[in-house]
Amino acid sequence: MKQHPLCTDCERALDVLSLPVPVELKREWAELETRRRFLGRTGKVLGWAALASLLGDKSLSVEAHAAGDTGPSAVPPRADLRLPNFAPKAKRAIYLFMSGGPPQIDMWDYKPNLVALFNQDVPASVRGTQQLTGMTAGQAHFPIAPSHWPFKRHGKTGTWISDLLPYTAQIVDDLTIIKSTNTDAINHEPAIMLMNTGNMNAGKPCLGSWLAYGLGSMNDNLPTFMVLQTQLNPKENNQPVSSRLWSSGFLSSEYAGVGLRSSGDPVLYLSDPDGVDRDVRRKMLDAVRELNQQTYEELGDPETHARISQYEMAYRMQTSVPELADLSKEPQSTWNLYGEEAKKPGTFAYNCLMARRMAERGVRFTQIYKRGWDVHGDVTGVLPQLCQETDRGCYALITDLKQRGLLDDTLVIWAGEFGRTVYSQGGLTADNYGRDHHPRCFTTWMAGGGVRPGITYGETDEYSYNVVKDPVPVRDFNATILHCLGIDHNKLTYKFQGLAQKLTGPAPAGVVQGILA
Amino acid sequence: MKFLKSAVASIERRLPQRRPIRVTWLAALLLGAVLLLLPFTFKLDGRPHADWLQFLGRFHPLAVHIPIGLIVLIPVLEFAGEFRPALREAAGFVLAIAFIGCLAALTLGYLLAYGSGSAGGLVIRHMWGGIAFTLSVLVCLLVRPTWTSGNVQRLYPATLTCTLLLLAWTAHQGGSLTHGRTYLTDYMPPLLKRMLALGVVHAKAPASNSFYAKHIDPIFDAKCVECHGASKTQGGLRLDSYTQLMEGGRDGAVIIPDNPARSLLLVRVTLPPSHKRFMPAEGKPPLTAEQIAWIKAWIQQGASPTAIRLNGIEIQDESEDEPLQPVGDYSTLMPAILALESGQGAKLVLVSSKPSDGLILNTVDVAATFGDAQLLQFQKYAPYIVEAELGRTAVTDACFTTLTTFTHLRALHLEDTRVTGVGLAKLTALSQLKYLNLSGTNVTQAELAPLRSMKNLRHLYLYNTPAQPASLASAAQPDGRSAR
Repeated sequence: MKQHPLCTDCERALDVLSLPVPVELKREWAELETRRRFLGRTGKVLGWAALASLLGDKSLSVEAHAAGDTGPSAVPPRADLRLPNFAPKAKRAIYLFMSGGPPQIDMWDYKPNLVALFNQDVPASVRGTQQLTGMTAGQAHFPIAPSHWPFKRHGKTGTWISDLLPYTAQIVDDLTIIKSTNTDAINHEPAIMLMNTGNMNAGKPCLGSWLAYGLGSMNDNLPTFMVLQTQLNPKENNQPVSSRLWSSGFLSSEYAGVGLRSSGDPVLYLSDPDGVDRDVRRKMLDAVRELNQQTYEELGDPETHARISQYEMAYRMQTSVPELADLSKEPQSTWNLYGEEAKKPGTFAYNCLMARRMAERGVRFTQIYKRGWDVHGDVTGVLPQLCQETDRGCYALITDLKQRGLLDDTLVIWAGEFGRTVYSQGGLTADNYGRDHHPRCFTTWMAGGGVRPGITYGETDEYSYNVVKDPVPVRDFNATILHCLGIDHNKLTYKFQGLAQKLTGPAPAGVVQGILA
Repeated sequence: MKFLKSAVASIERRLPQRRPIRVTWLAALLLGAVLLLLPFTFKLDGRPHADWLQFLGRFHPLAVHIPIGLIVLIPVLEFAGEFRPALREAAGFVLAIAFIGCLAALTLGYLLAYGSGSAGGLVIRHMWGGIAFTLSVLVCLLVRPTWTSGNVQRLYPATLTCTLLLLAWTAHQGGSLTHGRTYLTDYMPPLLKRMLALGVVHAKAPASNSFYAKHIDPIFDAKCVECHGASKTQGGLRLDSYTQLMEGGRDGAVIIPDNPARSLLLVRVTLPPSHKRFMPAEGKPPLTAEQIAWIKAWIQQGASPTAIRLNGIEIQDESEDEPLQPVGDYSTLMPAILALESGQGAKLVLVSSKPSDGLILNTVDVAATFGDAQLLQFQKYAPYIVEAELGRTAVTDACFTTLTTFTHLRALHLEDTRVTGVGLAKLTALSQLKYLNLSGTNVTQAELAPLRSMKNLRHLYLYNTPAQPASLASAAQPDGRSAR
């Protein structure tokens, strides 16, 4: 390695490639090398190659095998992934993410017997050795708070749904309700990361990025993976939602989610400023592209290519996004279905309508975030509001996709990062209570391509505390989503940090066969 | 230790008259106590121990047949001794040898169980069976002299019979360990099974595509499991899995295969709703006539966990796809397909990595300019295209003629196009077409009539057309279900 010219007493520089580190890491390092270094090292490489040929094939076999898997290029071309692994039922997915942890007991998981147990302590045998959050671990009592809202049977399937969800209740026959989802994390950040990326720590690609990477785009003019945030309601307890959740992690940043803003321009600085027309923009982009290409040739960093393609995507989005966001041509029937609220950008109903429009236009994966479900207190005050904000949107989206023939090949997913406790956090009164985080069971649903409509999967105990039948851990939940999209979760991998990384992580995961169509 | 004791005991057998009888009994009692204490001294803790234990232990299945053969020989010798006394004399000797063999087999068996760390119910039963059997052989040895001398008539034959029964039972446990519990019953004729009240042998897990999994289990799930499930188990009956369903509850079996009239479950759901034993109880929604018919037919035809179809029951099931017709291999066209991928026009997308799954014609990027002429250019790929996404394109009614050559087409999107339905009847040539989307077109009810003959066409979408106006389709009121 070249030393600094002024340095007279430099130690010999440390060469990463001579360190006893795994071959995989060396390969990654090699990918980051500059062309100049590459040329400089070529002599050495040739020397090694000569030595290797003298030693025979065996000395090379390990490395040759490792390199043979993906080749030396950073991103394997999509054809090499050979995806989908099998004919998929769903081509695209819409993920309605209820950030904060919706209370399953008040919405889905009907436990009529709890009324008789009002204010009694949750038996220690039910709680077991579970560690609680710091917010309730200190409570002397864990008084049972039955749901404030009555449940009724709905649909041909006679599924029990809370009165909080009058619209969703009308589509229960189309839903696959999973009552036994469970997670390993009890706090928001790790839990929401686990749901989205399969890992509690930041840095892994999320579901949408894996899909974008694995399946590619169906439409050249819109991003493969789009994220819509619902405007905050300051009265609710909003937990932060950040771009970590739609990050592509170690995958190329082309596969990261593209967020649409909830107010104003959907994408900032997308429209050309005054005095810049589309031709000027094109010329500018061409020049930037040339510069970027030079950088790429010099450094060989694949992220440069990602940057070039993102500029190009942004250019195409200048026409496609205004068309996407233009709701003026939607007929009155749309507003009858979604409600007048859907005309206001940033509402959940608006986002649901946008999700339908994106599905029509070939967006592979749309994720809608609705924050505020973290109901630690004043459940009877806040929860009706949360349900009112989201209930009709969910109903309208499913109904609309169904009537337009899109539900056959679109998978819709509704989930939060965990559930909420049966016991009250803080004081329990006759008509109000709070609920703490509860990872051991929570209710999610799916609908559409690949899943069996009108069923309820999994069961919880009488306290909606532990899963007693058919548990669905997060990794199985994600494996099932991938399965519906034609992907074997064990085969969609990417080598990073010496491990064939995958969405479901290293622990064995399984597709939930019981909910598949 | 044990061998020493057994040796002492066998010597005693040979010299029974010369020793005071009490010593013999005392030694036998001591030996019996040792045998009984063995499992408590070296507890089967379910953990494997030293390998040499297992090495020796694995000779147990071999050694065990020596005492079995000898013990079975004894009644033969005793009977034959009636006619040839020398044989009866030999019986005493054979019994002594058999006892030594028992001790050896028992020791090896214990080494096997202890060494390999097995401690299941079957192993424990087999172990106690072996110990009881060995003790019973010991008693035989002790009481036989009194029988041969003619002092006590019945004791020895009774003990020997007991020994033989114990042998049969223990050997069965051992056999079940080696070959599996259902080894004997797997291929038993169904008639015999029923006579033995074995019901259906639960060895077969319900197959996920079985009639039970797809149609019967969901009924229980929706209507019964609330009270007969894991969280609440009324009447000791659980209906949330096949095994538990067949086990029945406190009132015994609820499903008697082939016999709906005696199957309690069916009896209870078909009582008059006012009956106090009617199920589902407490005014919960009763089973529909169709559901009852399914359950009845299912029981009648053997209540099988694996049968996929039932005679006489036709269910129009969306998920029950007929096997898809594989399309031909398009590999030779691959360079052209890849060229389209990187080009500006419509694309051909691979359904999956398997060529026989076919191609999807994707036009979304060029929808506005994709017309009948452009569609015609894809005719050379027509046999490989299983899905044509022509939604929002510029195609007209002329496309139907071209589409008749898309013989493997399963899904056709024509939503929001200018088609009016003239010539729609030509699509009847597409025998595999399952999905047809005509939403937002000008198709009227009259033009759709010919499509009724297409029996594979299960998903027909007409939203926002003269055939199904949008205003009807979206009456979004929480009370009324929307029409489709």
